[in-house]
Amino acid sequence: MKNILKTRISFLLVLCLMVSVLSISAQDTVKAEPSVKLRYFVNNNNIQYLMVKSVIGKKLLPLPMKVVNVYLDSAGADNLIIKTTTDKIGKAIVFIPVAFQEKWKSNAKHNFIAVMEGATPEEEVTAELEITKSKIEIDTSSSEDGVRTITVKVMFYENNTWVPAPDVEMRVGVSRLGGILSAGDAETYTTDSTGSVSVEFKRDSLAGDLQGNYILAAKVEDNDSYGNLLVEKTVPWGVAYEPDTTFFSLRTLWTTQFRAPYWLLFMAYSIVLGVWGTMIYLIRQMWKIKKLGDAVGK
Amino acid sequence: MENIKHLTSEQITQDLFPRKFGKLGMLWTGILLLVAALGLYAYYRQLRYGLIVTNMRDYVSWGIYISNFVFFVAISLVGSLITAVFRLTKVEWSTPLTRIAEIIAVSAIVFASLIIVIDMGRPERFMNLALHGRIQSPIMWDVIVICTYFFISILLLYFPLLPDLQIMLKYKEKSSNALNKLYRFQGSFWKGTPEQFKISDRAINILCILIVPVAFSIHTVTSWLFATTYRPGWDSTNFGAYFISGAFLVGSGAVVVAMYVFRKAYQLENYITEKHFEKMGRVVVLLALLYLYFNINEYLVPAFKMKKAEEVHLMGLFSGEFAPLFWTAIMIGMIIPIFVLIFKSGRKPLPMFIVGCMVVLGAWFKRYLIVTPTLLHPFLPMQDVPASYHHYFPSWEEWAIAGGSMAGVLLVITFFVRIYPIIPIHETIEENEKHTQNQD
Repeated sequence: MKNILKTRISFLLVLCLMVSVLSISAQDTVKAEPSVKLRYFVNNNNIQYLMVKSVIGKKLLPLPMKVVNVYLDSAGADNLIIKTTTDKIGKAIVFIPVAFQEKWKSNAKHNFIAVMEGATPEEEVTAELEITKSKIEIDTSSSEDGVRTITVKVMFYENNTWVPAPDVEMRVGVSRLGGILSAGDAETYTTDSTGSVSVEFKRDSLAGDLQGNYILAAKVEDNDSYGNLLVEKTVPWGVAYEPDTTFFSLRTLWTTQFRAPYWLLFMAYSIVLGVWGTMIYLIRQMWKIKKLGDAVGK
Repeated sequence: MENIKHLTSEQITQDLFPRKFGKLGMLWTGILLLVAALGLYAYYRQLRYGLIVTNMRDYVSWGIYISNFVFFVAISLVGSLITAVFRLTKVEWSTPLTRIAEIIAVSAIVFASLIIVIDMGRPERFMNLALHGRIQSPIMWDVIVICTYFFISILLLYFPLLPDLQIMLKYKEKSSNALNKLYRFQGSFWKGTPEQFKISDRAINILCILIVPVAFSIHTVTSWLFATTYRPGWDSTNFGAYFISGAFLVGSGAVVVAMYVFRKAYQLENYITEKHFEKMGRVVVLLALLYLYFNINEYLVPAFKMKKAEEVHLMGLFSGEFAPLFWTAIMIGMIIPIFVLIFKSGRKPLPMFIVGCMVVLGAWFKRYLIVTPTLLHPFLPMQDVPASYHHYFPSWEEWAIAGGSMAGVLLVITFFVRIYPIIPIHETIEENEKHTQNQD
């Protein structure tokens, strides 16, 4: 009976081991696929650019130094915007050249195509991004009772005219530390049927620059139709920043020579005086030895 | 004392009296003068054309000049160890070694100061330190403490020399007129009265007590020049103790080398005996173990954490550009000396001499490794700079000036030995008489 039990346990252990080995081997054989990602940006309605990212695997790890051809509307030599190489973190920024101005103006919608070159044509990777031309505007107003309001309007281009864009989610607030500090209580806002968003400004005591200015910003991020839109406006709504110059008048280890801390002065001069005082005493002793010697000589 | 118990005071004086250079001595001095002259010419070029003649640039602004400075400061510490610590702890066998240690200390500290001025490029700007110096800066502390240490070392060299000057004036026919004039100027007032001895002994004791904290300060402050700067490899609280332990080791190594050379050159086998080598061997092995301990601390702890900026620096030392130099410094500066000196046969004069040379050479490499690799690995990446900024190898002018400063140190010692007795005559006679009386 015992032997049967032992055999079964051994068999189970071997089976578990084999399953583990097989599953590890299976994981190893899944080859991480390279891919290319495209993002479209418009800053303050006048600078359009694309960000190309070469990545690999499910975790989208950077794939550096890859050659990518970027086309406008269709992949052909005439439509090649640029042949670029991604940097060491797999990124490349692509601006639309002036030569494409007419093509750009001819349609309200455009299709960007990115083809990442491989060792063979079969290993090429393609990505596409369709965007609708759009613009974003920001305006401010103040009521008599001092309430400040930010109004942002998003429009898209259709049939040679600008049409309000409803249901566009965005962040509205103040540019701060590389991000946007929301102007109101909500984190994000969505445009209504008129393509507008009105946000009551609730950041009254926010510090500005030396003149009290800061930058308001509205940002649409990764919208399926319009991509990434950013608009900014400088307003004098902040509290003027007064630099603290008292730092320089403090006695610290890093200020000028005349502002050394008292404790350091006391310690340093005590040690110097103590040691050099002793040495002066010893030189006097030397003098004493000389006088004694001179007296014996006489 | 066993070896000289049969010798009379006359004989001891005869043996220890300074002697004219022989052929070998002349050759040695000539070579040193030549190296020093080359160093002076290189310095003239540096003054004329500026620091551009060096290979120091924006990143490596401290090259072998500062490595040399740290090395000289380190080696000078031996004066406090052998003269002061041994005297205060009544280590009698150290008597023949005290003056060797003191002159090494004085000559090294003089050239440590000079090499800093050389590194400045514009020597006249040294005045700015007096005019605009900040007491908050470790550089200021370093200047103060180096000056103080120099004067204490001079006094510690001078007080015990007074009785010997009297002896040399007694045998004036043995010296030239010029030397006799110098002896008279320096010590004609010494008559050897009990009052004079009493004052002198008291002064020496005070100096021995005073020099220990000053010596510790000098090297601690030198270490702070690095440790108070936030850089990979220097950002350490261990630096003061690490520097001091290394300084005692290299200083002792230098004394061992000098002991062997003087013993051979002046036939001082009766005075610098195998017993002295045996004892110094024990001192060196202890100090090598201590320094190894601090090295392990200094490298293992940051290597365990391997912060990104430290990683580049440490990997450069362990297996990169500086690895051959790093492991050579560790091996010849600590590991081999420990293994040689733990055996009695390793503490004989010749093996001790070889080990002493290794310790000194290893210590110089170590100072270079403390200074340069860190400067090549700043926290912010080096960008938009010429390729040469990424590496450092000293120019011939730098080598010549560094070599010239080394030759300068050796010249000071060489001329000192020519003018003054390198083993204290009076103290040796006195101890010999005391020893003979005790035996009677």
